[in-house]
Amino acid sequence: MTQTMHRETRVKARAARPPRRRGGFLPALGRFSLFALPGLLAYTLFVLVPIGMTGYNSLTNLNPFNPPTQFVGLRNYVNLLSDAEFHQALLNTVIITAIITVLANVGGLLIAMLLDRPTKLYVLLRGVFFTPVVLSSVVISVIWQAILTDDGLLNSALRGLGIDEPPGWLSDPDLAIYSIAWIMAWQMLGFCVVVYLAGLQGVPRELNEAASIDGAGPLQRFRNVTWPMLAPALTINVVMLLITGFKAYDQVRVITNGGPGNGTTVTMAFQVVQTAFVSNRIGYSSALAAVMLAIVAFISVVVLRFLQKREVSQ
Amino acid sequence: MRRTLIFGLAAVLAAAGCGVGETSQPEGGASASSGGKVELSFLVFETPNLNAAFWDAAIARASAKVPEVTIKKLVTPNIDRTAYAKQLDAAGNLPDILQSVNPAGFAQAGKLAPFTDEELKNFIAPKAGAIGGKVYQLPYNTQVIPVVYYNKDMFAKAGITATPTTYQELLDISKKLKDGGTTPFIVGGGGADTWADMYPLTGTVATDVYKKTPDWLLQRAQGKVKFTDPDFVAAAKKIEDLAKNEYIDPAGLSRSYADTEQAFRDGKGAMYPMGSWFATSADANKPSFEVGAFPWPTDDGSPVTPTFTGGGTLVSATAKNVELAKKWALAFDEDKENNDAFVKADGSIPAIKGYTPPADMGPVYNATVAIYQKGMQEGSIFDAFSQEAGDGALPPGLADKAALGVQDLITGKKNAQQFAEFLDDEYAKATQ
Repeated sequence: MTQTMHRETRVKARAARPPRRRGGFLPALGRFSLFALPGLLAYTLFVLVPIGMTGYNSLTNLNPFNPPTQFVGLRNYVNLLSDAEFHQALLNTVIITAIITVLANVGGLLIAMLLDRPTKLYVLLRGVFFTPVVLSSVVISVIWQAILTDDGLLNSALRGLGIDEPPGWLSDPDLAIYSIAWIMAWQMLGFCVVVYLAGLQGVPRELNEAASIDGAGPLQRFRNVTWPMLAPALTINVVMLLITGFKAYDQVRVITNGGPGNGTTVTMAFQVVQTAFVSNRIGYSSALAAVMLAIVAFISVVVLRFLQKREVSQ
Repeated sequence: MRRTLIFGLAAVLAAAGCGVGETSQPEGGASASSGGKVELSFLVFETPNLNAAFWDAAIARASAKVPEVTIKKLVTPNIDRTAYAKQLDAAGNLPDILQSVNPAGFAQAGKLAPFTDEELKNFIAPKAGAIGGKVYQLPYNTQVIPVVYYNKDMFAKAGITATPTTYQELLDISKKLKDGGTTPFIVGGGGADTWADMYPLTGTVATDVYKKTPDWLLQRAQGKVKFTDPDFVAAAKKIEDLAKNEYIDPAGLSRSYADTEQAFRDGKGAMYPMGSWFATSADANKPSFEVGAFPWPTDDGSPVTPTFTGGGTLVSATAKNVELAKKWALAFDEDKENNDAFVKADGSIPAIKGYTPPADMGPVYNATVAIYQKGMQEGSIFDAFSQEAGDGALPPGLADKAALGVQDLITGKKNAQQFAEFLDDEYAKATQ
């Protein structure tokens, strides 16, 4: 009986479907080209070609202020292996990325759970938390600089509380990188909140109700129902935060300029720009950019695959 | 082809979100004719002293003298106009006319048009900043770097009755101030303004290195001397010791240039080693105390006046009309009203024959000019380290590295010897 009904439904659906156009491969290719070509051209011109050129430049000693340009093979890449400043920049980038990935995810999840209520106040608060995401990183940096400098709002408040020598959030070489990471995590928090909220609203109410009836407490319901259902949101957040961390530039440029001291808060992206446009060593900076691209691509793919497998297994 | 390749890199950086794409990109240096006039792009930078209104008025005055030209003003995203000019150049958009960009690298690569002796006849030091015998940047003004500006009230309160003439006296004064609970030196260098921490070292290099060997940096380029030589290490050691004795507060390294100036105004320290451009700022916007000025002292009390002469306008070798661009640049730099405005806004000491500053200049500016004039009379003018232009300049990028290294000296992350070794390493990288 059920099978007959399904068969009838399929026949009706087939009858309702518009007749398939027939015209062969070439007309199909023409239609494909019409719609895809502009995008493909733009992508090729503005992404693939520059990446190729960067790869080419990385094999030269290109310095526009010190011609002639010569082909140097893999020398730039070999030099990177023993370049202490590159190692420091890589380490700083990893520290910043790790901190913002953890902080923004944990904070975002907690706030999303607090805001997962259908009242107007909570809807308004969602907007408040998302505001830093849409603000320019430069604006955010200037605001936080005013808060964290020695004479800034935070230290003034701490002095008001009786702490005579508050920390040098931006001037202490041991603290500055954590200040940068905190600011970036703060800015990305709203993004994580929104993604987790979307995930939370996709969790079927019946599952939680069923778990409650089965005697599960709030922690058990979170661990066994909510958290597994948030796997796609976690994937999006982690990958986005990894990419954001690895390309950290704006905040470093505005807030510390790589200091205090040499290399303290220099990130890979910052070093690429400084090497290219301050030291004029465009060949070497291209090698840096290529390595940065490879690292970001590799980590993104590995993490994406791992998290997507987790989604499937959930 | 090369421009295309470099543009490729810039595009990749922007695509990778490295931030280059976030700055407002002006249109290219290639200019268009409009209504029979030639439109030339002019790159300027804005500071609290040199604001948008200042540049607009100055441009209008020069354009009135060269009516064949219309100017399209481009503004750098921050005070580092040289780095921004390099970015524009990398994308093939070097502006036609540039203000106060360091010509090092640009000139050697043939990207700038040299000025002729005839064009430079009105300048007091027509060969200042020459590169290979040619002058690419109009030597329109002199700056004394550093002058030690001080808070007269704090000095009086600490019982200090005279300004120091020897380095030991400077240390004695610093000790008195510190013992009385006052931070002796205000030094900044936070945010993008890392350069603002350089001036104590600029002072000690002038007194301990350049006084003995005026062409020291030229000799460094020839490999005859090194930063690790005893004289330079001794100059750096003085900064290390100032920081160790807590005469410089490392927390100041989080302050931007503007915040550093404000900290001095707010009485957060007694002495402010800064370029002479601070003078008119102190006169125009008087703090609640009187400001005095003295030169950075030497060990034996002999005079040393570190200065920089140059800093004017440059013209791109590929400007649409190089001759008109140079004519406009000369009109801009030689204009009496423009120089008056530069003097009033930025404390410049114009190096143009027959120029006299406005009669109503304030006491701090006059005290600063007096230091310079005394230096001229005594023959004690030397280069200001990290500010040099021309053949004796630091290689591109090294001044920025030196400023970061000074932060390490102040925070104690490096000692003087390590700082000197760091500079030698960076020098080798910059010139390879």
